[in-house]
Amino acid sequence: MPLYLPIAELSMNVFVVLGMGAIVGFLSGIFGVGGGFLMTPLLIFAGVPPTVAVATQSNQITAASVSGALAHWRRQGVDVKMGFVLIIGGAVGAFVGAQVFTYLRLLGQVDLMISIAYVLFLGSVGGLMLWESLRAIMRQRRGVEPPRKPREERHKAWIHALPFKMRFRKSHLYISALLPLAVGFFVGLLSAIMGVGGGFVMIPAMIYLLGMRANVVVGTSLFQIIFVTALTTIFHSVNTQTVDIFLALLLLPGAVIGAQLGARIGLKLKAEQLRALLALMVLLVCVKMGLGLVVEPYERYSVAEVTQLEGIK
Amino acid sequence: MMRKALLMISMVIGFANAANALVTDLSNRRIEIRYSFNGADLILFGAVGATSINTYNDAYDVVIVVRGPEAPTIVRHKERVGGIWVNTNAIRFPAAPGYYAVAASRPLEEIATPVAFASYGIGFKNLPLVADSGTGRGLTVPPIAFRDALFRLRASEGLYRQEIDSVSVVDEGLFRTDIHLPANVPIGNFIVETFVFQKGSMKARHRINMHVDKEGFERAAYTFAHEWPFFYGLVAVIVALGAGWLAGILGKK
Repeated sequence: MPLYLPIAELSMNVFVVLGMGAIVGFLSGIFGVGGGFLMTPLLIFAGVPPTVAVATQSNQITAASVSGALAHWRRQGVDVKMGFVLIIGGAVGAFVGAQVFTYLRLLGQVDLMISIAYVLFLGSVGGLMLWESLRAIMRQRRGVEPPRKPREERHKAWIHALPFKMRFRKSHLYISALLPLAVGFFVGLLSAIMGVGGGFVMIPAMIYLLGMRANVVVGTSLFQIIFVTALTTIFHSVNTQTVDIFLALLLLPGAVIGAQLGARIGLKLKAEQLRALLALMVLLVCVKMGLGLVVEPYERYSVAEVTQLEGIK
Repeated sequence: MMRKALLMISMVIGFANAANALVTDLSNRRIEIRYSFNGADLILFGAVGATSINTYNDAYDVVIVVRGPEAPTIVRHKERVGGIWVNTNAIRFPAAPGYYAVAASRPLEEIATPVAFASYGIGFKNLPLVADSGTGRGLTVPPIAFRDALFRLRASEGLYRQEIDSVSVVDEGLFRTDIHLPANVPIGNFIVETFVFQKGSMKARHRINMHVDKEGFERAAYTFAHEWPFFYGLVAVIVALGAGWLAGILGKK
Protein backbone atom coordinates (compact mmCIF):
# COMPACT_ATOMS: atom_id res chain seq x y z
CA MET A 1 0.00 0.00 0.00
CA PRO A 2 1.79 3.15 -1.14
CA LEU A 3 1.61 6.31 0.90
CA TYR A 4 2.74 9.70 -0.35
CA LEU A 5 4.85 11.55 2.22
CA PRO A 6 4.27 15.26 1.62
CA ILE A 7 7.49 16.57 3.20
CA ALA A 8 9.88 13.88 1.99
CA GLU A 9 8.03 14.18 -1.37
CA LEU A 10 8.19 10.50 -2.12
CA SER A 11 5.89 7.54 -2.03
CA MET A 12 6.69 4.67 0.34
CA ASN A 13 5.00 1.39 1.08
CA VAL A 14 3.25 1.64 4.46
CA PHE A 15 4.10 -1.93 5.41
CA VAL A 16 7.78 -1.44 4.61
CA VAL A 17 7.86 1.59 6.91
CA LEU A 18 5.97 -0.23 9.68
CA GLY A 19 8.31 -3.20 9.26
CA MET A 20 11.42 -1.04 9.50
CA GLY A 21 10.05 0.46 12.71
CA ALA A 22 9.41 -3.03 14.10
CA ILE A 23 12.85 -4.41 13.20
CA VAL A 24 14.71 -1.47 14.69
CA GLY A 25 12.35 -1.44 17.69
CA PHE A 26 13.00 -5.14 18.25
CA LEU A 27 16.78 -4.73 18.13
CA SER A 28 16.69 -1.66 20.35
CA GLY A 29 14.49 -3.57 22.79
CA ILE A 30 16.93 -6.48 22.95
CA PHE A 31 19.93 -4.25 23.52
CA GLY A 32 18.24 -1.51 25.51
CA VAL A 33 19.38 1.26 23.15
CA GLY A 34 17.44 4.04 21.46
CA GLY A 35 17.91 2.73 17.95
CA GLY A 36 18.38 6.07 16.17
CA PHE A 37 21.79 5.01 14.94
CA LEU A 38 20.12 2.02 13.25
CA MET A 39 16.99 3.73 11.97
CA THR A 40 18.64 6.70 10.26
CA PRO A 41 20.98 4.53 8.12
CA LEU A 42 18.10 2.14 7.38
CA LEU A 43 15.95 5.03 6.14
CA ILE A 44 18.84 6.23 3.99
CA PHE A 45 19.38 2.75 2.55
CA ALA A 46 15.62 2.62 1.82
CA GLY A 47 15.88 5.71 -0.35
CA VAL A 48 14.82 8.51 2.00
CA PRO A 49 17.03 11.58 1.41
CA PRO A 50 19.67 11.67 4.19
CA THR A 51 18.59 15.15 5.29
CA VAL A 52 14.98 14.02 5.72
CA ALA A 53 16.10 10.82 7.45
CA VAL A 54 18.17 12.71 10.04
CA ALA A 55 15.60 15.43 10.76
CA THR A 56 12.65 13.03 10.90
CA GLN A 57 14.52 10.66 13.15
CA SER A 58 14.92 13.40 15.80
CA ASN A 59 11.15 13.70 15.89
CA GLN A 60 10.66 9.94 16.09
CA ILE A 61 13.15 9.62 18.96
CA THR A 62 11.20 12.20 20.97
CA ALA A 63 8.11 10.02 20.60
CA ALA A 64 9.95 6.77 21.28
CA SER A 65 11.58 8.10 24.48
CA VAL A 66 8.45 9.42 26.23
CA SER A 67 7.15 6.24 27.83
CA GLY A 68 10.60 5.15 29.00
CA ALA A 69 11.32 8.55 30.52
CA LEU A 70 7.95 8.57 32.30
CA ALA A 71 8.60 5.12 33.75
CA HIS A 72 11.99 6.23 35.11
CA TRP A 73 10.45 9.48 36.38
CA ARG A 74 7.85 7.58 38.40
CA ARG A 75 10.45 5.50 40.16
CA GLN A 76 12.61 8.54 40.91
CA GLY A 77 15.18 7.57 38.33
CA VAL A 78 15.74 11.07 36.93
CA ASP A 79 18.27 13.55 38.28
CA VAL A 80 16.42 16.69 37.17
CA LYS A 81 19.23 19.10 38.05
CA MET A 82 21.79 17.06 36.13
CA GLY A 83 19.24 16.68 33.36
CA PHE A 84 18.83 20.44 32.97
CA VAL A 85 22.58 21.07 32.88
CA LEU A 86 22.84 18.40 30.17
CA ILE A 87 19.90 19.98 28.31
CA ILE A 88 21.52 23.44 28.31
CA GLY A 89 24.65 21.95 26.79
CA GLY A 90 22.50 19.88 24.44
CA ALA A 91 20.50 22.89 23.26
CA VAL A 92 23.66 24.77 22.29
CA GLY A 93 25.08 21.66 20.63
CA ALA A 94 21.88 20.99 18.68
CA PHE A 95 21.74 24.61 17.54
CA VAL A 96 25.33 24.56 16.32
CA GLY A 97 24.79 21.14 14.72
CA ALA A 98 21.68 22.31 12.87
CA GLN A 99 23.51 25.40 11.57
CA VAL A 100 26.41 23.29 10.31
CA PHE A 101 23.90 20.87 8.76
CA THR A 102 22.10 23.70 6.93
CA TYR A 103 25.33 25.25 5.69
CA LEU A 104 26.74 21.98 4.39
CA ARG A 105 23.43 21.17 2.74
CA LEU A 106 23.75 24.32 0.66
CA LEU A 107 27.27 23.28 -0.30
CA GLY A 108 26.08 19.80 -1.25
CA GLN A 109 28.27 18.15 1.39
CA VAL A 110 25.74 17.20 4.06
CA ASP A 111 25.37 13.58 2.90
CA LEU A 112 29.12 13.20 3.10
CA MET A 113 29.18 14.69 6.61
CA ILE A 114 26.42 12.34 7.78
CA SER A 115 28.32 9.31 6.43
CA ILE A 116 31.64 10.40 7.92
CA ALA A 117 30.03 11.12 11.29
CA TYR A 118 28.46 7.66 11.30
CA VAL A 119 31.66 5.90 10.33
CA LEU A 120 33.72 7.73 12.97
CA PHE A 121 31.32 7.39 15.88
CA LEU A 122 29.97 3.94 15.19
CA GLY A 123 33.50 2.73 14.44
CA SER A 124 34.98 4.02 17.68
CA VAL A 125 32.01 3.24 19.94
CA GLY A 126 31.47 -0.19 18.38
CA GLY A 127 35.18 -0.98 18.57
CA LEU A 128 35.44 0.04 22.22
CA MET A 129 32.31 -1.86 23.12
CA LEU A 130 33.45 -5.01 21.38
CA TRP A 131 36.86 -4.88 23.05
CA GLU A 132 35.36 -4.22 26.47
CA SER A 133 32.72 -6.94 26.20
CA LEU A 134 35.17 -9.52 24.84
CA ARG A 135 37.45 -8.77 27.78
CA ALA A 136 34.52 -9.21 30.16
CA ILE A 137 33.58 -12.53 28.56
CA MET A 138 37.20 -13.75 28.80
CA ARG A 139 37.42 -12.72 32.44
CA GLN A 140 34.22 -14.51 33.21
CA ARG A 141 35.49 -17.69 31.58
CA ARG A 142 38.61 -17.51 33.77
CA GLY A 143 36.45 -16.70 36.77
CA VAL A 144 38.31 -13.58 37.90
CA GLU A 145 36.30 -10.57 39.02
CA PRO A 146 38.32 -7.32 39.17
CA PRO A 147 37.59 -5.32 42.33
CA ARG A 148 35.53 -2.19 41.69
CA LYS A 149 37.47 1.01 42.31
CA PRO A 150 36.37 3.12 45.30
CA ARG A 151 34.42 6.24 44.37
CA GLU A 152 37.18 8.69 45.21
CA GLU A 153 39.51 7.14 42.67
CA ARG A 154 37.03 7.00 39.86
CA HIS A 155 37.53 10.65 38.96
CA LYS A 156 40.81 11.73 37.53
CA ALA A 157 42.60 14.62 39.18
CA TRP A 158 41.93 17.09 36.35
CA ILE A 159 38.20 16.66 36.75
CA HIS A 160 38.36 17.86 40.35
CA ALA A 161 40.48 20.83 39.32
CA LEU A 162 37.69 22.25 37.09
CA PRO A 163 35.83 25.36 38.33
CA PHE A 164 32.02 25.96 38.75
CA LYS A 165 31.42 22.97 40.97
CA MET A 166 27.81 21.95 41.52
CA ARG A 167 26.17 19.43 43.79
CA PHE A 168 23.96 16.81 42.13
CA ARG A 169 22.29 15.04 45.04
CA LYS A 170 20.52 12.33 43.13
CA SER A 171 23.64 11.38 41.23
CA HIS A 172 25.71 11.54 44.45
CA LEU A 173 28.13 13.92 42.79
CA TYR A 174 29.93 17.15 43.49
CA ILE A 175 31.61 18.09 40.23
CA SER A 176 32.19 20.99 37.88
CA ALA A 177 29.11 21.90 35.78
CA LEU A 178 31.43 22.27 32.79
CA LEU A 179 31.68 18.52 32.48
CA PRO A 180 27.97 17.72 32.03
CA LEU A 181 27.66 20.85 29.88
CA ALA A 182 30.35 19.52 27.56
CA VAL A 183 28.79 16.05 27.47
CA GLY A 184 25.39 17.59 26.72
CA PHE A 185 26.86 19.81 24.00
CA PHE A 186 28.51 16.89 22.27
CA VAL A 187 25.34 14.79 22.42
CA GLY A 188 23.26 17.70 21.06
CA LEU A 189 25.69 18.07 18.19
CA LEU A 190 25.39 14.37 17.35
CA SER A 191 21.61 14.56 17.62
CA ALA A 192 21.43 17.33 15.03
CA ILE A 193 23.86 15.92 12.49
CA MET A 194 23.25 12.18 12.86
CA GLY A 195 19.59 11.88 13.80
CA VAL A 196 20.35 9.93 16.97
CA GLY A 197 19.33 10.39 20.59
CA GLY A 198 22.95 10.05 21.60
CA GLY A 199 22.38 7.57 24.43
CA PHE A 200 25.20 5.40 23.14
CA VAL A 201 27.62 8.25 23.88
CA MET A 202 25.89 9.83 26.85
CA ILE A 203 25.38 6.73 28.99
CA PRO A 204 29.05 5.64 28.90
CA ALA A 205 30.05 9.27 29.52
CA MET A 206 27.71 9.46 32.54
CA ILE A 207 29.08 6.27 34.01
CA TYR A 208 32.78 6.51 33.25
CA LEU A 209 33.42 10.25 32.96
CA LEU A 210 30.92 11.80 35.37
CA GLY A 211 30.68 8.77 37.64
CA MET A 212 26.92 9.06 38.14
CA ARG A 213 25.00 6.59 40.25
CA ALA A 214 23.84 3.77 37.99
CA ASN A 215 20.14 3.93 38.90
CA VAL A 216 19.69 7.47 37.57
CA VAL A 217 21.80 7.11 34.42
CA VAL A 218 19.17 5.77 32.00
CA GLY A 219 16.31 7.95 33.28
CA THR A 220 18.37 11.13 33.17
CA SER A 221 19.67 10.39 29.70
CA LEU A 222 16.11 9.77 28.40
CA PHE A 223 15.02 13.01 30.08
CA GLN A 224 17.76 14.90 28.26
CA ILE A 225 17.08 13.11 24.94
CA ILE A 226 13.41 14.14 24.91
CA PHE A 227 14.23 17.83 25.29
CA VAL A 228 17.22 17.87 22.96
CA THR A 229 15.56 15.89 20.14
CA ALA A 230 12.49 18.15 20.49
CA LEU A 231 14.74 21.20 20.04
CA THR A 232 16.54 19.52 17.14
CA THR A 233 13.17 18.85 15.48
CA ILE A 234 12.30 22.55 15.73
CA PHE A 235 15.74 23.67 14.49
CA HIS A 236 15.55 21.38 11.45
CA SER A 237 11.95 22.42 10.75
CA VAL A 238 12.92 26.09 10.75
CA ASN A 239 16.20 25.69 8.85
CA THR A 240 15.50 23.08 6.21
CA GLN A 241 11.82 21.94 6.46
CA THR A 242 12.94 18.33 6.33
CA VAL A 243 11.00 16.91 9.30
CA ASP A 244 8.38 14.51 7.98
CA ILE A 245 5.98 14.04 10.87
CA PHE A 246 4.01 11.37 9.00
CA LEU A 247 7.08 9.24 8.46
CA ALA A 248 7.98 9.68 12.14
CA LEU A 249 4.50 8.62 13.27
CA LEU A 250 4.47 5.62 10.93
CA LEU A 251 7.73 4.37 12.40
CA LEU A 252 6.39 4.61 15.95
CA PRO A 253 3.89 1.72 16.34
CA GLY A 254 6.30 -0.88 14.97
CA ALA A 255 9.06 0.55 17.13
CA VAL A 256 6.98 0.38 20.34
CA ILE A 257 5.69 -3.16 19.75
CA GLY A 258 9.07 -4.37 18.51
CA ALA A 259 10.80 -2.90 21.55
CA GLN A 260 8.46 -4.73 23.96
CA LEU A 261 9.14 -8.06 22.26
CA GLY A 262 12.85 -7.34 22.06
CA ALA A 263 13.07 -6.44 25.75
CA ARG A 264 11.65 -9.86 26.70
CA ILE A 265 14.25 -11.65 24.62
CA GLY A 266 16.99 -9.35 25.88
CA LEU A 267 16.31 -10.48 29.47
CA LYS A 268 17.21 -14.06 28.54
CA LEU A 269 20.67 -13.17 27.24
CA LYS A 270 23.78 -12.47 29.26
CA ALA A 271 24.84 -8.83 29.52
CA GLU A 272 28.34 -9.38 28.09
CA GLN A 273 27.03 -11.38 25.17
CA LEU A 274 24.42 -8.71 24.50
CA ARG A 275 27.08 -6.02 24.45
CA ALA A 276 29.28 -8.03 22.11
CA LEU A 277 26.35 -8.59 19.75
CA LEU A 278 25.41 -4.92 19.90
CA ALA A 279 29.00 -3.96 19.19
CA LEU A 280 29.03 -6.22 16.14
CA MET A 281 25.80 -4.68 14.89
CA VAL A 282 27.16 -1.16 15.38
CA LEU A 283 30.30 -2.11 13.47
CA LEU A 284 28.20 -3.64 10.68
CA VAL A 285 26.31 -0.37 10.14
CA CYS A 286 29.65 1.45 10.32
CA VAL A 287 31.17 -0.77 7.62
CA LYS A 288 28.11 -0.41 5.38
CA MET A 289 28.30 3.38 5.68
CA GLY A 290 32.06 3.30 5.18
CA LEU A 291 31.79 1.25 1.99
CA GLY A 292 29.49 3.92 0.59
CA LEU A 293 32.31 6.42 1.05
CA VAL A 294 35.21 4.45 -0.43
CA VAL A 295 33.68 2.22 -3.12
CA GLU A 296 33.52 3.90 -6.49
CA PRO A 297 29.90 4.99 -6.96
CA TYR A 298 27.94 3.59 -9.85
CA GLU A 299 26.81 7.11 -10.69
CA ARG A 300 29.27 9.91 -10.03
CA TYR A 301 26.76 12.66 -10.66
CA SER A 302 23.81 13.68 -8.54
CA VAL A 303 21.01 16.15 -9.06
CA ALA A 304 19.18 18.43 -6.63
CA GLU A 305 16.54 21.06 -7.06
CA VAL A 306 17.74 24.38 -5.70
CA THR A 307 14.34 25.66 -4.58
CA GLN A 308 14.29 22.89 -2.02
CA LEU A 309 17.68 23.98 -0.74
CA GLU A 310 16.91 27.67 -0.70
CA GLY A 311 13.68 27.35 1.21
CA ILE A 312 15.81 28.55 4.10
CA LYS A 313 14.58 32.03 4.76
CA MET B 1 14.10 38.02 -42.22
CA MET B 2 12.95 35.68 -44.95
CA ARG B 3 12.59 32.89 -42.44
CA LYS B 4 10.62 35.07 -40.11
CA ALA B 5 8.24 36.06 -42.89
CA LEU B 6 7.76 32.48 -43.89
CA LEU B 7 7.12 31.57 -40.32
CA MET B 8 4.50 34.32 -40.09
CA ILE B 9 2.76 33.10 -43.22
CA SER B 10 2.82 29.53 -42.06
CA MET B 11 1.46 30.59 -38.69
CA VAL B 12 -1.40 32.48 -40.32
CA ILE B 13 -2.20 29.50 -42.48
CA GLY B 14 -1.72 27.30 -39.50
CA PHE B 15 -4.17 29.38 -37.49
CA ALA B 16 -6.63 29.48 -40.33
CA ASN B 17 -7.03 25.76 -40.23
CA ALA B 18 -5.78 25.10 -36.72
CA ALA B 19 -9.33 24.74 -35.50
CA ASN B 20 -10.05 21.84 -37.75
CA ALA B 21 -6.49 20.72 -38.44
CA LEU B 22 -5.53 19.51 -34.98
CA VAL B 23 -7.35 19.20 -31.71
CA THR B 24 -6.09 17.45 -28.58
CA ASP B 25 -7.33 16.91 -25.06
CA LEU B 26 -6.24 15.15 -21.90
CA SER B 27 -8.15 12.67 -19.80
CA ASN B 28 -7.34 14.87 -16.83
CA ARG B 29 -5.99 18.41 -16.84
CA ARG B 30 -5.65 18.74 -13.13
CA ILE B 31 -3.62 16.12 -11.28
CA GLU B 32 -4.07 16.03 -7.54
CA ILE B 33 -1.41 14.58 -5.29
CA ARG B 34 -3.08 12.94 -2.32
CA TYR B 35 -1.95 10.49 0.32
CA SER B 36 -2.29 7.50 -1.97
CA PHE B 37 -0.50 9.19 -4.90
CA ASN B 38 1.88 6.81 -6.57
CA GLY B 39 2.22 8.47 -9.94
CA ALA B 40 -0.45 9.04 -12.55
CA ASP B 41 -1.15 7.86 -16.08
CA LEU B 42 -2.99 10.23 -18.36
CA ILE B 43 -4.41 9.67 -21.78
CA LEU B 44 -3.92 12.30 -24.42
CA PHE B 45 -6.11 11.97 -27.45
CA GLY B 46 -6.29 14.09 -30.54
CA ALA B 47 -7.73 14.35 -33.96
CA VAL B 48 -6.37 15.73 -37.23
CA GLY B 49 -8.91 16.90 -39.77
CA ALA B 50 -8.59 17.25 -43.52
CA THR B 51 -8.45 20.71 -45.03
CA SER B 52 -8.17 21.99 -48.56
CA ILE B 53 -4.63 23.21 -47.92
CA ASN B 54 -3.15 20.29 -46.05
CA THR B 55 -4.72 17.03 -46.88
CA TYR B 56 -4.20 14.49 -44.23
CA ASN B 57 -5.01 11.68 -46.55
CA ASP B 58 -1.32 11.03 -46.74
CA ALA B 59 0.42 9.37 -43.83
CA TYR B 60 1.28 11.70 -40.99
CA ASP B 61 3.34 11.55 -37.81
CA VAL B 62 2.55 12.85 -34.35
CA VAL B 63 5.10 14.06 -31.82
CA ILE B 64 3.95 15.00 -28.33
CA VAL B 65 6.12 16.96 -25.90
CA VAL B 66 5.20 17.34 -22.23
CA ARG B 67 7.19 19.90 -20.29
CA GLY B 68 6.95 20.37 -16.51
CA PRO B 69 7.70 23.49 -14.47
CA GLU B 70 11.23 24.83 -14.69
CA ALA B 71 13.31 25.20 -11.55
CA PRO B 72 16.92 26.00 -10.70
CA THR B 73 18.73 22.68 -10.50
CA ILE B 74 22.22 21.70 -9.39
CA VAL B 75 24.13 18.76 -10.85
CA ARG B 76 27.07 17.69 -8.72
CA HIS B 77 30.04 15.55 -9.64
CA LYS B 78 31.92 13.25 -7.27
CA GLU B 79 35.65 12.66 -7.35
CA ARG B 80 37.95 10.63 -5.18
CA VAL B 81 39.65 12.85 -2.62
CA GLY B 82 42.00 11.14 -0.18
CA GLY B 83 40.34 7.75 -0.61
CA ILE B 84 36.71 8.84 -0.28
CA TRP B 85 34.22 10.06 -2.86
CA VAL B 86 33.39 13.73 -2.45
CA ASN B 87 31.26 16.15 -4.45
CA THR B 88 33.93 18.37 -5.94
CA ASN B 89 32.34 20.42 -8.70
CA ALA B 90 28.82 21.43 -9.53
CA ILE B 91 26.93 23.13 -12.33
CA ARG B 92 23.81 25.16 -11.67
CA PHE B 93 21.08 25.18 -14.30
CA PRO B 94 18.86 28.20 -13.56
CA ALA B 95 15.87 26.70 -15.40
CA ALA B 96 15.76 22.96 -15.97
CA PRO B 97 12.36 21.35 -16.55
CA GLY B 98 11.29 19.14 -13.65
CA TYR B 99 9.56 16.85 -16.13
CA TYR B 100 10.14 16.33 -19.82
CA ALA B 101 8.68 13.67 -22.06
CA VAL B 102 8.66 13.13 -25.80
CA ALA B 103 6.36 10.58 -27.39
CA ALA B 104 6.15 9.94 -31.11
CA SER B 105 4.34 7.70 -33.54
CA ARG B 106 7.64 6.55 -35.06
CA PRO B 107 11.30 6.82 -34.05
CA LEU B 108 12.15 10.54 -34.24
CA GLU B 109 14.86 10.16 -36.88
CA GLU B 110 12.32 8.65 -39.27
CA ILE B 111 9.89 11.54 -38.83
CA ALA B 112 12.04 14.56 -39.65
CA THR B 113 15.61 15.81 -39.74
CA PRO B 114 17.40 16.82 -36.52
CA VAL B 115 17.35 20.41 -37.82
CA ALA B 116 13.57 20.41 -37.91
CA PHE B 117 13.35 19.13 -34.35
CA ALA B 118 15.94 21.65 -33.25
CA SER B 119 13.91 24.56 -34.61
CA TYR B 120 10.87 23.53 -32.56
CA GLY B 121 12.88 22.58 -29.51
CA ILE B 122 11.73 18.96 -29.61
CA GLY B 123 13.93 16.47 -27.82
CA PHE B 124 16.13 16.85 -24.79
CA LYS B 125 19.15 17.73 -26.92
CA ASN B 126 17.29 20.72 -28.29
CA LEU B 127 16.21 22.14 -24.95
CA PRO B 128 17.73 25.60 -24.53
CA LEU B 129 19.57 24.77 -21.30
CA VAL B 130 22.05 27.27 -19.94
CA ALA B 131 24.27 27.15 -16.85
CA ASP B 132 25.39 29.74 -14.35
CA SER B 133 29.03 30.55 -14.99
CA GLY B 134 29.58 30.69 -11.26
CA THR B 135 31.68 33.83 -11.49
CA GLY B 136 28.75 36.20 -11.63
CA ARG B 137 29.37 36.82 -15.29
CA GLY B 138 26.05 35.55 -16.48
CA LEU B 139 25.17 32.38 -18.31
CA THR B 140 27.29 29.90 -20.21
CA VAL B 141 26.85 26.75 -22.21
CA PRO B 142 26.81 23.87 -19.72
CA PRO B 143 29.52 21.20 -20.00
CA ILE B 144 28.12 18.29 -21.99
CA ALA B 145 28.93 15.75 -19.25
CA PHE B 146 26.74 17.62 -16.75
CA ARG B 147 23.95 18.04 -19.27
CA ASP B 148 24.03 14.33 -20.02
CA ALA B 149 24.12 13.54 -16.31
CA LEU B 150 21.03 15.68 -15.73
CA PHE B 151 19.18 13.75 -18.41
CA ARG B 152 20.44 10.37 -17.19
CA LEU B 153 19.56 11.00 -13.53
CA ARG B 154 16.14 12.44 -14.24
CA ALA B 155 15.47 9.65 -16.74
CA SER B 156 16.29 7.03 -14.11
CA GLU B 157 13.68 8.65 -11.83
CA GLY B 158 11.12 8.50 -14.63
CA LEU B 159 11.06 12.30 -14.90
CA TYR B 160 12.64 12.54 -18.35
CA ARG B 161 11.26 10.19 -20.96
CA GLN B 162 12.29 10.17 -24.55
CA GLU B 163 11.90 7.50 -27.19
CA ILE B 164 10.02 5.38 -24.65
CA ASP B 165 6.37 6.24 -25.18
CA SER B 166 4.72 5.88 -28.51
CA VAL B 167 1.74 7.60 -30.05
CA SER B 168 -0.66 5.13 -31.53
CA VAL B 169 -2.78 6.13 -34.47
CA VAL B 170 -6.20 4.70 -33.77
CA ASP B 171 -7.89 5.57 -37.00
CA GLU B 172 -7.14 7.78 -39.96
CA GLY B 173 -7.48 11.08 -38.11
CA LEU B 174 -7.41 9.87 -34.54
CA PHE B 175 -4.42 9.25 -32.28
CA ARG B 176 -3.71 8.71 -28.61
CA THR B 177 -0.82 8.34 -26.19
CA ASP B 178 -0.27 7.68 -22.51
CA ILE B 179 1.54 10.20 -20.37
CA HIS B 180 3.25 8.68 -17.35
CA LEU B 181 3.85 10.89 -14.32
CA PRO B 182 5.97 9.27 -11.57
CA ALA B 183 5.26 9.68 -7.84
CA ASN B 184 8.02 12.27 -7.50
CA VAL B 185 6.58 14.50 -10.23
CA PRO B 186 7.14 18.21 -9.52
CA ILE B 187 4.14 20.39 -8.82
CA GLY B 188 3.22 23.28 -11.08
CA ASN B 189 2.11 24.04 -14.62
CA PHE B 190 2.75 21.58 -17.41
CA ILE B 191 2.60 22.29 -21.13
CA VAL B 192 1.51 19.52 -23.46
CA GLU B 193 2.35 20.33 -27.05
CA THR B 194 1.39 18.19 -30.01
CA PHE B 195 3.06 18.48 -33.41
CA VAL B 196 1.87 16.90 -36.62
CA PHE B 197 4.57 16.17 -39.18
CA GLN B 198 4.03 15.17 -42.74
CA LYS B 199 6.86 14.21 -45.06
CA GLY B 200 9.38 15.70 -42.68
CA SER B 201 7.82 19.09 -42.19
CA MET B 202 5.68 20.44 -39.38
CA LYS B 203 2.09 20.93 -40.46
CA ALA B 204 0.18 21.72 -37.29
CA ARG B 205 0.70 22.16 -33.58
CA HIS B 206 -1.58 22.39 -30.62
CA ARG B 207 -0.84 23.25 -27.03
CA ILE B 208 -2.79 22.56 -23.87
CA ASN B 209 -1.99 23.16 -20.22
CA MET B 210 -2.07 20.78 -17.34
CA HIS B 211 -1.62 21.39 -13.64
CA VAL B 212 -0.16 19.20 -10.92
CA ASP B 213 -0.72 20.19 -7.33
CA LYS B 214 -0.82 18.76 -3.84
CA GLU B 215 -4.33 18.64 -2.54
CA GLY B 216 -6.19 18.27 0.70
CA PHE B 217 -4.22 17.16 3.70
CA GLU B 218 -0.97 16.75 1.74
CA ARG B 219 -1.19 20.32 0.55
CA ALA B 220 -2.03 21.63 4.01
CA ALA B 221 0.90 19.80 5.59
CA TYR B 222 3.36 20.96 2.94
CA THR B 223 2.20 24.56 3.13
CA PHE B 224 2.25 24.53 6.92
CA ALA B 225 5.82 23.14 6.98
CA HIS B 226 7.10 25.74 4.52
CA GLU B 227 5.13 28.83 5.54
CA TRP B 228 5.19 28.45 9.31
CA PRO B 229 8.21 26.19 9.93
CA PHE B 230 8.55 27.09 13.61
CA PHE B 231 4.97 26.17 14.42
CA TYR B 232 5.23 23.07 12.26
CA GLY B 233 8.22 21.99 14.35
CA LEU B 234 6.34 22.77 17.55
CA VAL B 235 3.32 20.76 16.43
CA ALA B 236 5.60 17.90 15.36
CA VAL B 237 7.08 17.81 18.88
CA ILE B 238 3.69 17.97 20.61
CA VAL B 239 2.28 15.24 18.37
CA ALA B 240 5.38 13.10 19.00
CA LEU B 241 5.03 13.53 22.78
CA GLY B 242 1.33 12.64 22.66
CA ALA B 243 1.82 9.69 20.32
CA GLY B 244 4.75 8.40 22.36
CA TRP B 245 2.77 8.60 25.57
CA LEU B 246 -0.22 6.87 23.98
CA ALA B 247 1.95 4.18 22.40
CA GLY B 248 3.51 3.51 25.80
CA ILE B 249 0.10 2.95 27.39
CA LEU B 250 -1.21 0.80 24.55
CA GLY B 251 2.04 -1.14 24.36
CA LYS B 252 1.76 -2.25 27.99
CA LYS B 253 -1.61 -3.84 27.46
